Amino acid sequence: MKNKYLSYLLLVFIAGLWSCSDDNDVFEQTADQRINETVTAYQQELVAAQYGWKAIIYPAGGGVYSFYFKFNDQNRVVMYSDFASESAVTSKESSYRLKAMQTPSLIFDTYSYLHVLADPDGDVNGGLDGDGLRSDYEFSFNTDSLNTENITLTGTKNQSKLILIKATQEEAAAYGNGGLAKSLLFSNISKYLTYFKRVTIGGVVYEIAVNQSARTVTLNWLVGTTVNSFTTDYYYSSTGVSFITPFVNGSQTITGFTDLTWDESRLSLGMTAAGSKVTVVEAAKPLKVDVAAARRWYQAAADEGGYWFSWDGFHVNGVDDAFKVNTLNYNGTSPYYYYFYWPQFGSGYDAYGPAFVTDNALSLYYADAPRTPTFATDGRIIFVSSGLLGEAYPTSGPAVDSKNYLYDTNGFYIIQLSDNAYDMVSAKDGKGWVSWIK
Amino acid sequence: MKIKITFSPFLAALALTLLLGSCKEDKLENVEEISGLGGEVIPPTAIDKYITDSLTTPYNIIMKYRWDQFEFGDVTKTLVPPKEEQIVPVTRAVLNTWIKPYIAQAGSVFFNKYSPKTFIMSGSVQYLSDGSVVLGQAEGGRKIVLFDVNNFRVRGMSGYIAARDSANVKQSTHTLQHEFAHILHQTILYPVEFKEIGRGLYQGQNWINVSDAEARRDGFITSYASSAFDEDFVETVATMLVEGRSGWDKMINSIPAGFSVNGTSQADAQAKLRRKEALVVNYYKTAWNIDFYELQKKTRAALIPLL
Repeated sequence: MKNKYLSYLLLVFIAGLWSCSDDNDVFEQTADQRINETVTAYQQELVAAQYGWKAIIYPAGGGVYSFYFKFNDQNRVVMYSDFASESAVTSKESSYRLKAMQTPSLIFDTYSYLHVLADPDGDVNGGLDGDGLRSDYEFSFNTDSLNTENITLTGTKNQSKLILIKATQEEAAAYGNGGLAKSLLFSNISKYLTYFKRVTIGGVVYEIAVNQSARTVTLNWLVGTTVNSFTTDYYYSSTGVSFITPFVNGSQTITGFTDLTWDESRLSLGMTAAGSKVTVVEAAKPLKVDVAAARRWYQAAADEGGYWFSWDGFHVNGVDDAFKVNTLNYNGTSPYYYYFYWPQFGSGYDAYGPAFVTDNALSLYYADAPRTPTFATDGRIIFVSSGLLGEAYPTSGPAVDSKNYLYDTNGFYIIQLSDNAYDMVSAKDGKGWVSWIK
Repeated sequence: MKIKITFSPFLAALALTLLLGSCKEDKLENVEEISGLGGEVIPPTAIDKYITDSLTTPYNIIMKYRWDQFEFGDVTKTLVPPKEEQIVPVTRAVLNTWIKPYIAQAGSVFFNKYSPKTFIMSGSVQYLSDGSVVLGQAEGGRKIVLFDVNNFRVRGMSGYIAARDSANVKQSTHTLQHEFAHILHQTILYPVEFKEIGRGLYQGQNWINVSDAEARRDGFITSYASSAFDEDFVETVATMLVEGRSGWDKMINSIPAGFSVNGTSQADAQAKLRRKEALVVNYYKTAWNIDFYELQKKTRAALIPLL
C-alpha cells in the first residue's frame, strides 16, 4: 500500500525539483547590460591612464614594433611609432572607438601609424602587396585584461598580439621630447662599413649582428674556443633598445641598450649596456671562423644541381649594389634579373654572372667560369678564373667589376644565416659582402 | 519486497500538471540597451560636419569613412581605413565631378531620386590574386565603395604627380559615373539597337585578357565595355563624361588602320562607337530629358582643375 504511492510521491518530488522559478539566469544582468558595462569600463581605463600607454605589437608577419598611445574621451588618439624615424619624432592624431563586436573591441578606425604595418601596399611597409606585414588595427580585448596594469589584445583579422602597458610620467615626457627618435639611432648600425661588428660588455667581447627588417639582435661570444650565440627580438622604447628576451650571461643581464649616440663623421655607435658605456667597433673578420661553412655553402647548391643568387650583387664600403648590377641590360632589350653563382656548372668549373629576362623567361648570355674554388683550412673560400662562358662578355662595367671583386686573392668568409641563405664576406677587410639565397 | 507500480490516471495527471506549471515562461527581457542599436555615438569632428553639410543634408548621402569591416564585400581582403586628411578632398571631388554637374543639368529632384545613398571609403586599393587591383565597387545601385583614398591627389595637393595621379582622379570619377549610369538604365532601358551594334564581338569573362586598345578596334571604348551589353552602355557613358567631347573624339580618331583580331575594320570600329555615342545622347534626351553634351561639358569642366 505504502509502496504503491511511493513512486508517485517520487514523481511529484522530482517535478518540484525541476520547478525552476528564476534560476535560469547565471548572471544577474542581461547580456546587453554586461557588454555595455564592459565596453564602458575599457573605455574609461584607456582614457584614465593620464600618461598614456606604451604599446608593443607582434604582427602575424613577424617582427615586433612599439608605439605610444594617448587616448582621450572624444574618440581621439595621439601616437608615436618606432617604425620609422619620422613617426618616432612627430606625433599623429587619428580616431578610435570601442565597439561591442563579438567581444568588446578596440578599433583604430582612421589611418594612423598603426595602420602603416597593416597597409596592403608593399611600398608602405616592405611587405607583400595585398598583405603588408599582416598586422591589425581592429582588436578584441583578452578577457583577463580589465583593471590590470597591462591590457592585452588580439587582432581580429590576423591575430596580431598587442600589449598596452601604462606609461609613467617620465616615459610620456620622453616620448614627447623625441626619446623614441633617439632610440632609433641604433638603426645606424647598418652604416658600419664592416660586416662584422663587436662590442665589449663587462669584459666579454660580443659580435653583434642586427636584422632590422625582422627586428632581431644576435650576440655571439666565445667561451674557450666555442662560440655561443643568443638572439632576441627587439623594439625601440623611449629610452633605447629593449630586448624581448633579456640576455643573461653569468652574473651579467642585458635587457637592452640605452643612451644611444651616433657619430655620423666617425660612423660610431655608442650606448649603455648593463650599466656601462660601450661603443660598437668594426671587425675585419668573425669572432671565430666557421671553417666548414664554405664547403656547406658550395655543396648545398651542388648537391641539387642548383645555384645561389643575389638580387643586388656586392655591397662594398657602405654602398648597396656597389657595382650597379641592377643597371645591366643585355642588348638593350633584356633587363637584369639577378646575379648567380652556380657550383659545378661544368666539369671542374663553376659559373658566376648575371641572369637576364628575355620574353618573360630567365636567360643566361655570358658568365665567368671560376675554377672549382679553393677551400682554405682557415675557412676562407678563394676563387680563381678559368675563363669566360657565353658571348658578348662586356669589357667594362658592372659585370667586370663584380668579377674582379670575386677573384680577390684574399678570398671570402662564408656566414650561414639559414639553410637557404648565406652571406659571403670579403676576407681582405670585411667591408664587402654579397647575400646568397636559393 | 516487490514494488508494484500501478498506473493511476489522476495522480499521473497531477504530477504532470505540477511539472508543467512549475516553470513559468520568463518575460522577454528588456531589449532597450542593445549595444550599438541606433548607431554609435561618436563626437562629431570637422570632417563629420563637412560631410553632413555638403552631402547628407542636401542629398541624403552618407560618406562612411570610419573603419567597418562589414561594409566591404570580401572580408578576406586586407584593406586599411582612409587618412583623415584625405576625406574632405575626396568628398569634394565626388561633389564637384558627379553630383553638381547632374544637378545643374537635370535638377535635384532627379538626382536625389536616383543617386546611390551610401559611400564607403577604403584607404588602400583591394589587391586581387591575379595581381590586379580594384579601385571602385558598387553594390546594387545603393552603395559605392571608393578605394585608394589615401593616394587620391588632385592638382595642388602636395605630392601630386600628373602622370600618375590624374589617371587615379579620372578613374574614381569614372567609377561614379559608371555606377550611376547603371541605375539609370536599370530604371529605363536604353534602346535595344544598342545591343545590336557590337553583336558577336562581346567577350564575356574574357574581357580581362583584352586591352583597351584592342577593344577599341572592335568598337568598345574600354575592355570592360566588351564584357556585356550593360557594361558597354555605362562604360560608354562614363568615358564620354570623363574624357569630354574632344577627348572622346581623340580616342575614336586614334584607332589604328587595318583590322582587329576579330576582323573589324578601322572604319567599322569608328562607326560603331559613333553610333553608340548617338544612342547615348538620344537616350538621355528621350528617357530623362537631359542634354547629354551639356552634361558632358559641365562634368569635364569640373574635372579639369583637378587634373
